[in-house]
Amino acid sequence: MLDWSIIIHYFPFLFKGALLTLQISVISLILGLAVGLAAALSILSHNILLRWPARFYVWIIRSTPLLVQLFIIYYGLPQFGIDLNPFWSGVLGLALNTGAYNAETIRAGILSVPKGQVEAARSLGMGSSLTMRRIVLPQAMRLIIPPLGNNFIILIKDTSLVSTITLVELTLTAQRLIGSTYKPFEMYLMAAVLYAVLTTGSSLLLRQFEKRALKGAAA
Amino acid sequence: MSANNAFATHEGAMIDLRGLRKSFGSNEVLKGIDLTVQRSEVQVLIGPSGSGKSTLLRCVNHLEQPSGGQILVAGELVNRSDLKPRAFQRHLNRIRTHLGMVFQQFNLFPHKTVLENVVEAPVQVLGRSKDEAVADAEELLAKVGLADKRDAYPVSLSGGQQQRVAIARALAMKPSVMLFDEVTSALDPELVGEVLRVMEDLAAEGMTMMVVTHEMGFAERVGDRVIFMADGNIVEEGVPAEIFSHPREERTKRFLGDILK
Ligand SMILES: Nc1ncnc2c1ncn2[C@@H]1O[C@H](COP(=O)(O)OP(=O)(O)OP(=O)(O)O)[C@@H](O)[C@H]1O
Ligand SMILES: [Mg+2]
Repeated sequence: MLDWSIIIHYFPFLFKGALLTLQISVISLILGLAVGLAAALSILSHNILLRWPARFYVWIIRSTPLLVQLFIIYYGLPQFGIDLNPFWSGVLGLALNTGAYNAETIRAGILSVPKGQVEAARSLGMGSSLTMRRIVLPQAMRLIIPPLGNNFIILIKDTSLVSTITLVELTLTAQRLIGSTYKPFEMYLMAAVLYAVLTTGSSLLLRQFEKRALKGAAA
Repeated sequence: MSANNAFATHEGAMIDLRGLRKSFGSNEVLKGIDLTVQRSEVQVLIGPSGSGKSTLLRCVNHLEQPSGGQILVAGELVNRSDLKPRAFQRHLNRIRTHLGMVFQQFNLFPHKTVLENVVEAPVQVLGRSKDEAVADAEELLAKVGLADKRDAYPVSLSGGQQQRVAIARALAMKPSVMLFDEVTSALDPELVGEVLRVMEDLAAEGMTMMVVTHEMGFAERVGDRVIFMADGNIVEEGVPAEIFSHPREERTKRFLGDILK
């Protein structure tokens, strides 16, 4: 049977862990979008000095485990004098990781915009960055937003790996409480419920955002 | 500013193509085209599919990069090779503001309303004030008979309406030359007339125009000169009455015979 008194007693601790998980997720989301957009535009650029490093970045991130990436940042980088605390190590690792997946999503979205749109803009004297910003990206958004939302849900769940670099977020909070309560089922169950709340809440928010973004331009 | 004045005051040909060549890989699509368009002239390009009409038009505003020859617009060389990439891009952007283009597939911006489509480039490229651009746009939309559609999205318009918006969008830049590439080919037959009428009005106002079309009635009525192209060459050119009633070249006769059947 579930020990409800334990659950009620320790819920506030786990809730605090969940807040940290949310915080790290949102910061990584924002940085990951910026990195993803920059990488996508670089990959589509004619300049090989941009294209080549960006392709390498996406490839290396997508072909290695997030856990190893986090270890390299947190345990490896201090060797070179780059000593980030667990929070920023986690944010950096997660942002770089989700950024690579975002780059692929954004790139595909940009390529889905018909060539005629770019030609129409260019024939009006719009330069390449103006065309990208005002014509291509807004249209690509329609295709990009749902899979980016999906990447965000994955990101929220991936934050649990940051527990391995000693950041006391939701998962590590649960683990630590098990040490004192010997109630692994209750603790992990609470963590699971809180993750589900975070991901489901985000999904609902994203759906609202999607609806707003798609309004008018239903084509 | 001086460059703008050149478009308004230039006395020679508005468009002057000299030995224009274009290849896609080993496929030579334009084989040395010489052609001039005078101010207020309406030139109609006709010819079989694949003869290079679209490619020619798209070289004029450098949507296609020519492989050889010269393109002069209002006396200014378009395909300059002396500029660094950035400067060349600025040069192209500036010249393109004087060359309106209308496409077969309309290419309206689907995420913008009709009005937003028309004011986009005047505001973003020319830096006109929003109010001024909107006033201009409303006038242009009235001119193409779509004043009441200003807040509609392109997807809700018929093909003919979309194409008239596309013409208004190009005209909003106050271009010196308009390029039309088979702008009625994607339309249902009953919608062709409304678009051709707008073009005819433009011609009557003295707009310089290059028109690729299969509408021979329009070519005959509105064109000042007809250019017949085949296999990347100009086979024959002349005033419409002459070309349509007394074509000299065998190739022209065959084409006109096929199309007027
Ligand atoms: N981007 C491209 N890449 C490769 N080949 C091309 C490209 N654009 C056009 N071509 C080729 O160039 C030739 C001329 O094409 P173009 O579109 O200029 O002909 P057109 O006279 O406009 O024909 P249509 O009446 O069918 O529009 C064709 O053989 C075509 O396949
Ligand atoms: Mg064509």
